[in-house]
Amino acid sequence: MDGCQSGVPTYEGDLHIVAAAHHIFKALGATKNLSDDLRKILIDLDSHLSMITSNIDSTGGRGLVDVEERLDQAERKIMRWKTDPMMIWDSGPKEASDYLEAVDETGKLVDGLRGLSVHENRKQKEILHRAMNILQMAMSRLEEELIHILVRHGQQFEPKHMYSRSIRKDIVYDESFVSVEDEPTKETSSRSCSNDESGECIVDLVHADVIPDIKSIAKVMFTSNYGPEFCEAFISVQKEALEQYFSFLGTENLSIEDVLKMEWTCLSSKMNKWTWSMKIIIRDYLAGEKQLCDQVLGGLGSVSSYCFLEISKATILCLLNFGEAVAMGPHRPEKLLRLLDMYETLACLLRDIDTLFSEEAGSFIQLQFHELLERLGESAIAAFEAFRVAISSNGSLYPFAGGGVHPLNKYVMNYIRMFPEYCNTLNLLLKNQHPGVADQVTEPDYRPDASLLTSCPMAYHLRSITSCLESNLHKKSQLYKDEALKHIFLMNNIHYLVQKVKGSELRLFFGDEWIRKHNAMFQQHAMNYERATWSSVISFLKDNNPGSSSMSKSTFKERCKGFSVAFEEVYKTQTSWSIPDPQLREDLRISTSLKVVLAYRTFLGRNLAYTDDKCVKHTVEHVENLLLDLFGGSSRSLRNSRRW
Amino acid sequence: MPATDYQASFLGRISIRRNQVIAMDGNHEQELQDLELFSKHVSERFAELLSSPDDVPFDALLSISRLRKLLDFFLCCEAEFKGILMMGNDPSQISKPPLDRLIPEFLDRSVKALDVCNAVTNGLESVRHYQKLAEIVISALEQKPIGDGQSRRAKKALTSLMSAMNVDDKECSAAKATERSWSFSRRGVSSKDRVPEHFRSVSNQVAKNWSAAKQIQAMTNNLVPPRGAEGSGLASPVYTMSVIMVFVMWALVAAIPCQERNGLSAIHFPAPKQLNWAQSIIGLHEKIGEEWKKKEKKGTAGLLDEMQKMEKLGNILMDFTDSFQFHGDITDQKAEEAAAHAAELAETCRRMEEGLLPLQMQIREVFHRIVKTRTELLNALDQVGKSSPPLL
Repeated sequence: MDGCQSGVPTYEGDLHIVAAAHHIFKALGATKNLSDDLRKILIDLDSHLSMITSNIDSTGGRGLVDVEERLDQAERKIMRWKTDPMMIWDSGPKEASDYLEAVDETGKLVDGLRGLSVHENRKQKEILHRAMNILQMAMSRLEEELIHILVRHGQQFEPKHMYSRSIRKDIVYDESFVSVEDEPTKETSSRSCSNDESGECIVDLVHADVIPDIKSIAKVMFTSNYGPEFCEAFISVQKEALEQYFSFLGTENLSIEDVLKMEWTCLSSKMNKWTWSMKIIIRDYLAGEKQLCDQVLGGLGSVSSYCFLEISKATILCLLNFGEAVAMGPHRPEKLLRLLDMYETLACLLRDIDTLFSEEAGSFIQLQFHELLERLGESAIAAFEAFRVAISSNGSLYPFAGGGVHPLNKYVMNYIRMFPEYCNTLNLLLKNQHPGVADQVTEPDYRPDASLLTSCPMAYHLRSITSCLESNLHKKSQLYKDEALKHIFLMNNIHYLVQKVKGSELRLFFGDEWIRKHNAMFQQHAMNYERATWSSVISFLKDNNPGSSSMSKSTFKERCKGFSVAFEEVYKTQTSWSIPDPQLREDLRISTSLKVVLAYRTFLGRNLAYTDDKCVKHTVEHVENLLLDLFGGSSRSLRNSRRW
Repeated sequence: MPATDYQASFLGRISIRRNQVIAMDGNHEQELQDLELFSKHVSERFAELLSSPDDVPFDALLSISRLRKLLDFFLCCEAEFKGILMMGNDPSQISKPPLDRLIPEFLDRSVKALDVCNAVTNGLESVRHYQKLAEIVISALEQKPIGDGQSRRAKKALTSLMSAMNVDDKECSAAKATERSWSFSRRGVSSKDRVPEHFRSVSNQVAKNWSAAKQIQAMTNNLVPPRGAEGSGLASPVYTMSVIMVFVMWALVAAIPCQERNGLSAIHFPAPKQLNWAQSIIGLHEKIGEEWKKKEKKGTAGLLDEMQKMEKLGNILMDFTDSFQFHGDITDQKAEEAAAHAAELAETCRRMEEGLLPLQMQIREVFHRIVKTRTELLNALDQVGKSSPPLL
């Protein structure tokens, strides 16, 4: 037994122990019988020795032989799995901890032997190489186990927030402004992302039960200097999982060129998808990923944030690039709401992004998102201006048939009805934007006691938009040759405008003053209409000689005829005109009826003597009924009417 | 994309012009001087790139530091170009022939360049991944004395490194996705669970079926030197800047792994030699093109100097680890050689560590600069368009 000789004592203390051991060895050789006390001391010593196993270089025990034995033991434990088809961590916690122990032991032996290597002992070198070889095998195996655990226990990711997918019905824009639904479907708005409480639990990307396992693998791999291998494996699995989830969300990579060429409906849905994916990826998925990285690699300095960045970078860049491409595209008015969605989403995710990428290495990503936000804002402002310009420059060659509500009006009003939802953002973005001077038509003087909302930047811009709209409608009204129809058109359109404002949150921004003024406006047009149409008709019924009690029969006949012809003419034309709003139509009919029927009744009443004559073509009731046919939108003629 | 798409919004947009400088008489003289100065600077800058310092071999032309210089030059030229185009001139010029055609074509090229920037950014991520793998190789071989264990460890990382470089080179058709040999040996593959097997991830793509080579080819469409009277006007800086842009993008794609590069060497741009400023660019293009053709046959992840070194050293070290495993032991001389190679690889990694991130940032800067100029040009076009009578 040459164990004592080959042990290489390095310290003075060790030499003493060796010397003492020699004595004991000798003494024991000379002794046949051991007293119980002595035996007990020796057993104590033995167990004490077996406790001191970690520091080989200070070993006073059996030296390399002991080391070799320990290595043999560890090797057996490690090699046994080489042929086993089962994964170790699937086989049970005992197996896993045994394996880890063996690896740990091997690692310690390697460390210890390295400490000795200065002495260039051949045997030592051999054992060291063997140990390192075993360690390498074990590390490879651990890597496989790690990947297996991550893959097998990766949780089906479910976002913790329910983000509604299709946020709202898209208003389809086209240059003719005809494809507008008047009543967009009631949207379920869930844009706000402030509904989140901090401290909410974060989604686990990997089952919580296996976190300690992963951690223990990380620990032993990092201790043995196999940290980079651990990171590589960890990153590759997690990155792949994120990308799979990303493509599961339906987000595909698009080149900037593709995005710029994309048709609006398609782009719009992609923009929606981006908004949606951003929330899920940033707030839920990456929060989970960050948590996982921190749990597993928490104590290892910057390793955790390095891994997190590597895992998420590619996906993040995808999201960034789409945002850039959108912000870069032509600033069409229809893009405004989508852009605002993107802007708002990013604005409230910025804090999360800043937290996720707070480390220095991630500051690049932080910065990119901050810049993107700025560009999205600029783009939204540009789209807003484009919207205003589109309204002013929308031209027509022909008058809008029937004088009803113009599609431009519908489009604009239905569009801006959505603006109040974006009030804060729009106020922020429009703060320094002044509507073009030319557009400041009639801005009523808003008194200081008016509500705050009517004096916010958005309100100002909203009113500027409607005044653009109004002036465009005035321009369009000039295309009518018929003065009365022109008034019907303006009445209809201004009434529509007011209704849309009154019927939505817009009223808060336009204010009572505006509504009052515009009510008066369309009423004025109604009056103008009546004057333009009916004053000439009624003039037949007017008594030129108020003093005398009756007119001559021939005059009566002539007046009667004149009235009938004029009335029938109006009937024929104005039944084709349209007042889409039933209430407005009703009101106008009543007020017309009041004037016309009253005048007619008076006229006939005054000339009772002739009324049985055939020259009275229409009875009062008749006229009253016929007036109900006006503004129905389809032309009728009294001659062909079945009433005759 | 037809030119008219750029005037895009018939709706236009209002914006406060910052750069509106009213052209005055006598500015023409100034303009000519500016143009001359511009082409002089271009020619000087690229001549500097072409003439490699004595101590650097030519193939170091596409080293990280050289690429950074190239991008610096690009940014300088770009700034000067924008100055000439937007500041000192009658803004309405850009909407008159021939610029009314050349500017939209230029903008079209810009957009394509942006996608190339993104592709290169993705490519740099791959390069960074190679670096990480090479660092494992180094840390395995650094340990002394070298034994079977480290040799195996190094070999494993080398195998992944070489196959990673190879996959990136194999122009990434999804069908050819290679199993990740390094991470997934026997068990990984046989595992019935979902196994990540595509080495190149989807998110590293610019877009499906996107091709860097085709993109650059498309950038050269309509790229012809201005002729006759055009040559003395603003058409010439637009042409010059276009050539620079195409060249820079082309060089980046040649250097850095990129999605689909087949046919890259076939691209030549019509820059006539008699143009003074073009000579150095043509020289650079020829030299890089030759390199590319040589490597194209063998297959390479890219001409980036550091990567080529890595590839070369990787192969040598791979042989070393092979022989190690075959013989079980090695001579001291071999060990020393290997150590020297590992040290060289470590030096390459160090340069990557220093240079890759700044390079990536710089590419992002180029990206943003191109976006910015594009926006400003579009605004200027818009502004000019607005002063013409509106359609009604």
